[in-house]
Amino acid sequence: MNQIAEWDWDTKEKYIADINEWRKKFPVVRGLVASDDGEKIATVIQTEDNRFTTCVNGDVWEETFERLWSLKFTPDNKFICLTYKDYEWALAVDKEFWEDRFDSAWNLTLSPDGKNIAINVKKEESYGVSLNGNTWENRFVDARDIALSPDGTRTATLIQTKRLKEGDIFGFQEGIWTVAVDGTPWDKTFVNVWGVTFSPDSKHVAVEVRFNLYDYTIAIDGKTWEKVYNCVWEPLFKPDSNDIIAPVKTSDGWTLAINGQPVWDTYVQLWNQRFSPDGRRIAAIVAPEYGRWTIAVDNIPWNNSWSDAVLPPIFSPDSKRVAAVVKESRNPFHMESALHNVEGNNRYSIAVDGTPWPGDFEMVWDPIFSPGSDKVLAKVEKNGKYFIAIDGRIGKHGYEALWNPVFSPDGEKLLIRCVEGGRYYRRVVPIHEI
Amino acid sequence: MAVKNAVKSAVKEKVISKDFKEYIRDVNPDVGLDETIKRLTPEKIEKTIKAVIGGRSSRIKAVMNTCIHCGLCAEACQWYLSNDKDPTYAPVAKMRMTIWEMIKRNGKVDAEFIKQCARIVFTECNICHRCSMYCPYGLDITFIIGMVRRICFLLGVIPQRQLDQAQAHIVTLNQVWLSQNDWLDVLQWQEEEVGADFKDLRVPIDRDGAEVMWLPLGAEPKTGTYHIERTAKIMYAAGVNWTLPSKDVWDSSSMSMFVRDFVTMQRIVRGLYDNAARLRIKKMVLTE
Repeated sequence: MNQIAEWDWDTKEKYIADINEWRKKFPVVRGLVASDDGEKIATVIQTEDNRFTTCVNGDVWEETFERLWSLKFTPDNKFICLTYKDYEWALAVDKEFWEDRFDSAWNLTLSPDGKNIAINVKKEESYGVSLNGNTWENRFVDARDIALSPDGTRTATLIQTKRLKEGDIFGFQEGIWTVAVDGTPWDKTFVNVWGVTFSPDSKHVAVEVRFNLYDYTIAIDGKTWEKVYNCVWEPLFKPDSNDIIAPVKTSDGWTLAINGQPVWDTYVQLWNQRFSPDGRRIAAIVAPEYGRWTIAVDNIPWNNSWSDAVLPPIFSPDSKRVAAVVKESRNPFHMESALHNVEGNNRYSIAVDGTPWPGDFEMVWDPIFSPGSDKVLAKVEKNGKYFIAIDGRIGKHGYEALWNPVFSPDGEKLLIRCVEGGRYYRRVVPIHEI
Repeated sequence: MAVKNAVKSAVKEKVISKDFKEYIRDVNPDVGLDETIKRLTPEKIEKTIKAVIGGRSSRIKAVMNTCIHCGLCAEACQWYLSNDKDPTYAPVAKMRMTIWEMIKRNGKVDAEFIKQCARIVFTECNICHRCSMYCPYGLDITFIIGMVRRICFLLGVIPQRQLDQAQAHIVTLNQVWLSQNDWLDVLQWQEEEVGADFKDLRVPIDRDGAEVMWLPLGAEPKTGTYHIERTAKIMYAAGVNWTLPSKDVWDSSSMSMFVRDFVTMQRIVRGLYDNAARLRIKKMVLTE
């Protein structure tokens, strides 16, 4: 985010690449990936000898591979991808490889500033993590999911501590899963662990744990909350503190617990809790009744609710407003209703502070607040084309492909990354022209 | 001598229920039933039964009192029909020999009784729901059988293979213990397999905004990898913009449902929808 001010906000339009031309030039062109600042566009192309390589702004990498995956640009515009050649996976950053090679590499994860890269790896028949090419010396029977600390220096993954014979139902229930942080497993093991996350100061790790077939709680640095619950969902650290909030299921229903103590009313369901940027407010998805979903902010549900979907809440930069993607069907259990994508039925929209936009769309991506918190926009799909919608009003231009727009630091302009007429453009457009 | 031995081996050892003398079955060793009950105590059994039945005992009693033993449910049951209409396979008998008895005895049943319940509800009922459809009073027999499964699950008394698959779901959220990297490797490998025959035939992973997300059964990437190749060909021929998720959950089956592990059931369904929302797909296509 802090690099956005340095982007080019003056040039109205840059024609970056002719994608149609790439399609004529190469046997196969796969999905497109745009850099955050819009200056670069990358893809995987197939070469004449049926191998694969990358093409960034028309620059084709001479080296070719059997597989290429997880293409990404870092916030500082480095191009990274996972490559597979001669039975080895390697991570490449701007065409330079990490020294280490892997049997498998996945879950490519970046620190917020993009300067640190972590992946889950399998190497010599054991599993672990590699951070910036430094692979854990301790590796394990299996590893699932990865967390990278906010400062980019620490990693954690969920690990299986010992092998299990086929059908060993008793060994399983002894608990053979835990968390490994920087390669060191917690002493305590569990039937299962999920939702690993770091604290804002990167010093602590929290996770959901299952003790047996029916008891759950949250563990922090290997120490569990005293209270156990019928179920829990992913924990979240409060900004600038080590307090943890997590949805927990009690005999009365789902509520939100802080450091193990339930603090909200109970709901039929509750998940995807989020803190406001100032850390003072909490929003979460709740089901106030069966089949109805909404957002609750500080334990007060919005008046409106939706039948099909409410996606995770997003706070405005000033912490005062909340927006979420919502979806309604007239009758979600009626087959005709589910299949007919018509106006007002089975369609997506955005709700801001509980009020839905007047229009609806075939699809809506996450809402984005302006820096001043006064405007909300989203990428939307209508009639097979992609548009920008602001405060419920759909923009004039439909695109063949569109990436999430970015507000200029003053909130007056938008960076639009789009494909139009088979060409990729970077445009800077005043808000009133959308 | 050889003939005598052959005859002897053909006669299977039988077990007769001490609670229901007419319930006679072959001995069928299963550590998921035989060993797990050794860990039970009367207190744990009673507490678990009461926790599951809880406020629903009146609902179950209503079923018990409403049932007129007409036997129509039996005619709906493939277990009853395929066992020479042995009445102990009738759905009403399965209720009578399990949860009705638990309620009558106020949860005070022993471990052997729980084992018998587990055998009945897990190995002699498919939860197909036909009996509920046949019942002239619409009694939800399957719901009742499911409650017994829930009690057995919480007590850990489940046939080994079923529990093993359910435990696979607990950890991996797929029923075949597939690691995250193996799932991805299979997809990439299958793309290579078909890519040689068709230009740009994809097994696309995490395609944002695709129309369709296909969610296979766990066995397909494990032992039926050709299903992925064939699905890719069908999608290609039909011109469907489709994708598969890189992240858990991708297995559309739920062994957790069969053992009534409600938490893992929720986790599976939530994971499927989370992937759909993350990738902004419009339709989910599931193998069945």
